[in-house]
Amino acid sequence: MFFHVDAAQSVGKIEINLESLPVDLMSFSAHKIYGPKGMGALYVSRKPRVRLEAQMHGGGHERGMRSGTLATHQIVGIGEAFAIAKAEMKDEGIRVQKLRDRLLAGFSDMEEVVVNGDLEQRISGNLNISFNYVEGESLMMAISDVAVSSGSACTSSSLEPSYVLRALGLTDELAHSSIRFSVGRYTTEKDVDDAIKLVREKVQKLRDLSPLWDMFKDGIDLSTVEWAAH
Amino acid sequence: MAYGKKVLDHYENPRNVGVLDKDAPNVGTGMVGAPACGDVMRLQIQVNDAGVIEEAKFKTYGCGSAIASSSLLTEWVKGKTLDEAAQIKNTEIVEELELPPVKIHCSVLAEDAIKAAINDLKSKAS
Repeated sequence: MFFHVDAAQSVGKIEINLESLPVDLMSFSAHKIYGPKGMGALYVSRKPRVRLEAQMHGGGHERGMRSGTLATHQIVGIGEAFAIAKAEMKDEGIRVQKLRDRLLAGFSDMEEVVVNGDLEQRISGNLNISFNYVEGESLMMAISDVAVSSGSACTSSSLEPSYVLRALGLTDELAHSSIRFSVGRYTTEKDVDDAIKLVREKVQKLRDLSPLWDMFKDGIDLSTVEWAAH
Repeated sequence: MAYGKKVLDHYENPRNVGVLDKDAPNVGTGMVGAPACGDVMRLQIQVNDAGVIEEAKFKTYGCGSAIASSSLLTEWVKGKTLDEAAQIKNTEIVEELELPPVKIHCSVLAEDAIKAAINDLKSKAS
């Protein structure tokens, strides 16, 4: 059995040493670390040997693993992006974490707010948070100046809530109310403060529109309600 | 994600957000959906002695299309009799709001909500 890790979100954020990591395959992506879109890389272990079934056939490029000429300028791009990421990782991590913590602090006095996942075992720029009784996609629409994503079913084409959040043990409710913020290299303190202000305002507005918030305020235990689901 | 103009309008300028007294004899309340599904609509209607809907209020937990569908419904039912309101089809909501296929179920839930509110009123009368 082979072990593949999708490290697209990990490069430049945590240490990756392929000499010591016990993985057979690892995937990398350029654009997740400020490189050009349209370029990635796959580490394939030699010892033990992993044999890949080619997805693209033709001239036998990449030792028969992936045929087709690649965009050289983008290969340079991914190389540069990774080199910069390695050099900046430590300092960037500290800066980004401070901003992420500032973002979280901006919501700390709000009622019914839950951070999803462990705060310690998390990459420095990520904040996945649920504002209870407010559905994720409606909040995304309301704060459209801020680029975020949600684990809500309404945002997926399959209409299923995020399987990642479910695996973390979240109830479907909290998954539907989740928002993922990411702080990165170009995020400024002003960006964070503007986002906090906008989110607070819109969460309140959506809670005023929410029958669940009404019920919560009336002291009703939502887990005891019999819903007429469709 | 590109949001339809009409859907955004209902969100930015919500009509008829609020609550009516669910215990009043001339108020019907329909609550459909479930938090586990990510969609809950509460629609309330108030009829006058002539059986015409004179007031309608809604609150919705759900995506922009769900909010817009329920908001639109409260606009449409005002001035209608219960039988007329029960005729509203979800397809009319889809057309008016230009909902994409993946959001059609929001309009279905809104149709369910008005029917539930009407049934609630009818069961109070009997």
